[in-house]
Amino acid sequence: MSVVHGRHTVFKLAAKDLSTYTTTSQLEKSADAHDITTYGQDAHVFSGGLLNGAASASGIYDSATSIGPRAVIDPLVGTVVTLLRQVEGAGSGKPQDVVQVLITKYTETNPVADMVTWAVDLQLSGTIDATPQP
Amino acid sequence: MELDEVMEAVADRLGQIDRIAGRVFAYPPLKVEAPAGIVSYPDAIEFDATYGRGVDMMRGLEVTIVEGKISDRDARDRMAPYVAGSGTGSVKAVLEAASVAPMPWDDLHVLSVAFDVVTIAGTDYLAATFKIDLAGPGTVS
Repeated sequence: MSVVHGRHTVFKLAAKDLSTYTTTSQLEKSADAHDITTYGQDAHVFSGGLLNGAASASGIYDSATSIGPRAVIDPLVGTVVTLLRQVEGAGSGKPQDVVQVLITKYTETNPVADMVTWAVDLQLSGTIDATPQP
Repeated sequence: MELDEVMEAVADRLGQIDRIAGRVFAYPPLKVEAPAGIVSYPDAIEFDATYGRGVDMMRGLEVTIVEGKISDRDARDRMAPYVAGSGTGSVKAVLEAASVAPMPWDDLHVLSVAFDVVTIAGTDYLAATFKIDLAGPGTVS
């Protein structure tokens, strides 16, 4: 067991590897909570419901016309594509999450004294395949 | 983004300024005669600005222009085009100009210029030192 540095993370969207344009990414796994508290309880009692989740990523904009973040993500806003995220980087047996996601937002930010950046928000659609990498 | 390639390419571009053409050093020289341009080392190279060795940052690369004697009014007038924001003699404009040929960096930004006095062979010369940030590929192509 050891700590893992974030720079090894792999982030792919719609089968396009955006890792080299990405500075941070996040995958949030959540679930609905149903309150099933009845009379006679001293505390709320909950039952798990449908799974849910969201993901996001952001990074440094690149003008690459075929594989840059704008070229890949902008045309796909509002569509469902495959997200692949390898939290410990690529390698046999290492974990990965593969899930369908709805691209809900793509943002480009242009500060006057810094690099142009991009960001994407993703709504998970369906269950996550967390099978480790082959 | 390799340090030597960056310093050489910056020096080549600096040499496009007529007054210092052929008088630009791509490294800190032992001796220099004004007018001259000197490309010196950056403050730092920051690795892994993105995942997967995508982008490295080179911070505070220094370019120094040495002109006439500090007490010479003409030196001020000759220094003015170097430190202007635009024009064919502007260090910022020349270094940031778009290039058809591939450069070792993806982006070059001349951030600032500061003035100083450098003493060469007992004479005080007016010097202007530019600070430059660069972003480029983390993997060497």
